[in-house]
Amino acid sequence: MKNNLHALWQLFFGDSARAFGSASVILLVLLAVAPAKNHFSQWRHYQKQYLHLIRGRADAVTLERHFQGGIQQIWIPEQQVTDRCTTCHLGMKEASLADVSSVAFREHPVIPHKLTEFGCTTCHRGQGAATTVEEAHSATEQWEQPLLPAKYIEAGCGQCHLENQTGTPFLNQGRQLIVSYGCTHCHTIKQGDGTYVTPDDDPPSLKHIADKTTREWVYAWIKDPQAYAGTATMPNYHLSDDDARDVSAFILAQSTPLEPPLQPVKADTKTPADPAAGTSLYGQSFCASCHAMQNAAGMMVGGNVGPELTGIGTKAKPEWLQDWVANPNHYDPGTMMPHYRFDAAQVATLTGFLESKVEPDFVANVHLDAATPEQVEHGKRLAVENGCASCHEINGIKKPENFAPELSRIGSKPLNQLIFVEGVEHSLPGYVAGKVRNPRAFGPSLKMPQFKFTPQQIDAITTALLALTDRAQSQPPTMRIASVQQSKYQPAGNAGQLMGDLRCFTCHMINGHGGDMAPDLTWEGTAVQREWLTQFLKNPETLRPALIRRMPKFNLRDAEINTLADYMMTVYQTPEFDRDSLPVSQFNPAQVEQGRQLFYSKFACQSCHIADYKNDKGYIGPALAATGKRFNAAWVYYWLKDPQALRPGTIEPNQHMTDDEARALTAFLMSLKSGGAQGAMKK
Amino acid sequence: MANTLDRLADQVRENRIWRSIFRSGTGESNLHRALTVQQNVFLHLFSVKARKRTLEFRATWYLGALTFGTFLILVITGILLMLYYHPSVPQAYADMKDLQFVVSSGVFLRNLHRWSAHAMVFLVFAHMFKVFYRGAYRPPREFNWVIGVVLLLMTLLLSYTGYLLPWDQLAFWAVTVGSNIASAVPVIGAKMRFLMLGGTAVNANALLRFYVLHCVILPFAAVVLIAIHFWRIRKDGGIYPGESPAEGDAK
Repeated sequence: MKNNLHALWQLFFGDSARAFGSASVILLVLLAVAPAKNHFSQWRHYQKQYLHLIRGRADAVTLERHFQGGIQQIWIPEQQVTDRCTTCHLGMKEASLADVSSVAFREHPVIPHKLTEFGCTTCHRGQGAATTVEEAHSATEQWEQPLLPAKYIEAGCGQCHLENQTGTPFLNQGRQLIVSYGCTHCHTIKQGDGTYVTPDDDPPSLKHIADKTTREWVYAWIKDPQAYAGTATMPNYHLSDDDARDVSAFILAQSTPLEPPLQPVKADTKTPADPAAGTSLYGQSFCASCHAMQNAAGMMVGGNVGPELTGIGTKAKPEWLQDWVANPNHYDPGTMMPHYRFDAAQVATLTGFLESKVEPDFVANVHLDAATPEQVEHGKRLAVENGCASCHEINGIKKPENFAPELSRIGSKPLNQLIFVEGVEHSLPGYVAGKVRNPRAFGPSLKMPQFKFTPQQIDAITTALLALTDRAQSQPPTMRIASVQQSKYQPAGNAGQLMGDLRCFTCHMINGHGGDMAPDLTWEGTAVQREWLTQFLKNPETLRPALIRRMPKFNLRDAEINTLADYMMTVYQTPEFDRDSLPVSQFNPAQVEQGRQLFYSKFACQSCHIADYKNDKGYIGPALAATGKRFNAAWVYYWLKDPQALRPGTIEPNQHMTDDEARALTAFLMSLKSGGAQGAMKK
Repeated sequence: MANTLDRLADQVRENRIWRSIFRSGTGESNLHRALTVQQNVFLHLFSVKARKRTLEFRATWYLGALTFGTFLILVITGILLMLYYHPSVPQAYADMKDLQFVVSSGVFLRNLHRWSAHAMVFLVFAHMFKVFYRGAYRPPREFNWVIGVVLLLMTLLLSYTGYLLPWDQLAFWAVTVGSNIASAVPVIGAKMRFLMLGGTAVNANALLRFYVLHCVILPFAAVVLIAIHFWRIRKDGGIYPGESPAEGDAK
């Protein structure tokens, strides 16, 4: 054996020439490994598999013609996209491969963008440059960002689309939650277009809190806000009993009395109000448009603009309720609630009704001794530490700056800058979702409080946060689709003051400023007749047959109505046309008749609208039976010609009518002068 | 057969074109051999004659030659790598990825460069130890020892400047630490750091500076010093033959 080995050695390395030759051969073999590895690479294997797959299919010829071998890439330098995913994912654009079982070769689901427009990693993340499965999809030693789990995929859209998209419900919901739960009171979120995400939860000022509620209620509320109202957005700080005692002591101690002070409830109005009258006034005033209340069946009924009122009688003191109902501006000049002009009897009725809405259990077990100065001092320290003033106005504490980490680029945060705890998946989505789910799990000293979110809400918020990437910040502005920003429009003069007092902008939008609960009034002066407007302000009625909700009645005085109507008729006019340019007197009966034909046959308007309450059943659009009393003919005419031009986004279809048709239809509609919808219903 | 080949080779060597390039011509005489070495720009660095003993493995373990071999590999692979590399912040790391994923045998090229660099550092040290323990640094070779030490420094600097070029976290922090060490020098520390980085932070300027150092200044300096190093071997009496009086004959 040994001899054999020796002989072998002699054969190959016996003398210098043999040794040189053998070493050279070995070197050559070793050098050949490099090109061999190149040749047997993973992507070639996938391309062979793909060719094998398509050969067996009916449209093999077409597919083979589309096939291009070698490394494929989507290269968009200005977006820093170099995606070689299509080297293996060869069937992305092949509609006929939608049914293929292998994900690698299946057609990409239909999306609004071309696949080559933004590449793959812009939305999916992962390593675009890679040409191996492991490197492209996973987090590896040299690459931190793996593929984004499919449930967060809408985060990709959110990098460019700052506005709400119908295709991204999850992202929209997450963004809405971030705004409505006031995340950005503490965290700064600067979007790619330079705008900041502003909260809209409107947390109340606590400067006069002692006028409004009791220390017992404050204590119970701080301990668990959701125990009082399930819809409460305030998070739970998990304060100990002692800490809650001290914070409530401080909150009450810093409160100063309102100026001028609240009036005590008069003895004679304190008699138990008629519950039926209260319910009916609550309904007539459309309080439920903004406020929710649990009904007898335990169902939550009402809007979420204002706070839930199920236990308002336990929370608010009677004299405060009375003052608030009479004029909310007194307690909170910044409130979104309109100033209803209730008379004294109505105030008493509504106050009594609200007082009867109690949750006695909420404060039943709270027994607090009078606060000591030490407790107040400790409570103040706790209030500062927990950042209470980030959301609430509090006497003696300034709003802290940058109280919590900025989240503008949280979606690109390197994992090595994050501290993970057990039970949290070691990935960015895992971290973000974990933080939203249970912030205190990351350390007892962390300040972020516990919000109450459903798992679905947590995923939505995580999606919205993951959209805040470096790419979203650094991409060229042309890529960005900005969100609609509210303008700073404020009407001037007496009418402006009045509109402010009535909080028109809580529901209506005018010149890009205001809410979306009620119609946009920017061109209301062109659209309607002054007489109709004054009638409506005096006694609002619903304009749509399927809608019970309507504008609340504010009990305006005639002078106020005149001021408003004058202002609106003068100022809110479109520059496009003159509202008086089409006098009704021009129309002749033949045109009216032609319009009727068009309405009922050619355009079948009755599918959605009601022109005649006796026969028509359309309920999608507003009833038109009183068009002649409500609108100006010019508005109707131009509306028919191009509805979207007058109100972008309206679902009224553009029928591309000829001028004559539109004129005839206008003549017909302007001839409709029956009573309002309610009047007609009553008949 | 062999004769035919020899004759053919002689014919080529006697050719006018050949003679215009290699002027020494053919011949077995000492003069011819000496001329061959002297009149060639590359060979003239070397001695015309060497002791047979100094060419054996045990004399030097060929450490110097191996070091030079790795240097050649580094120059060749380095030039090839330069074809794929942009010394710019957004592109540098992406170029690494391209080498890894799409350049034919790109990984092989990078690895060859990297392992040769490691080998060169190792061999330089081994070469130094061999020279030191054999006592080959003593006069008249003391100046060549100094050149060798400078070449060691060149090797280390090449290694260090090359480390930044992939522009990954390792590179970034290595240079951050290195430049902070430089700034610890009294009085001129901060200036040195600024000079080194071309700014106050490890960024685009530092990357460009290290690239130029790695690909131009240091290799050029190394080539010049290597040439002097080789030339001095001849001038200092050839490779150190060892303590005992010469055993082998000159050849």
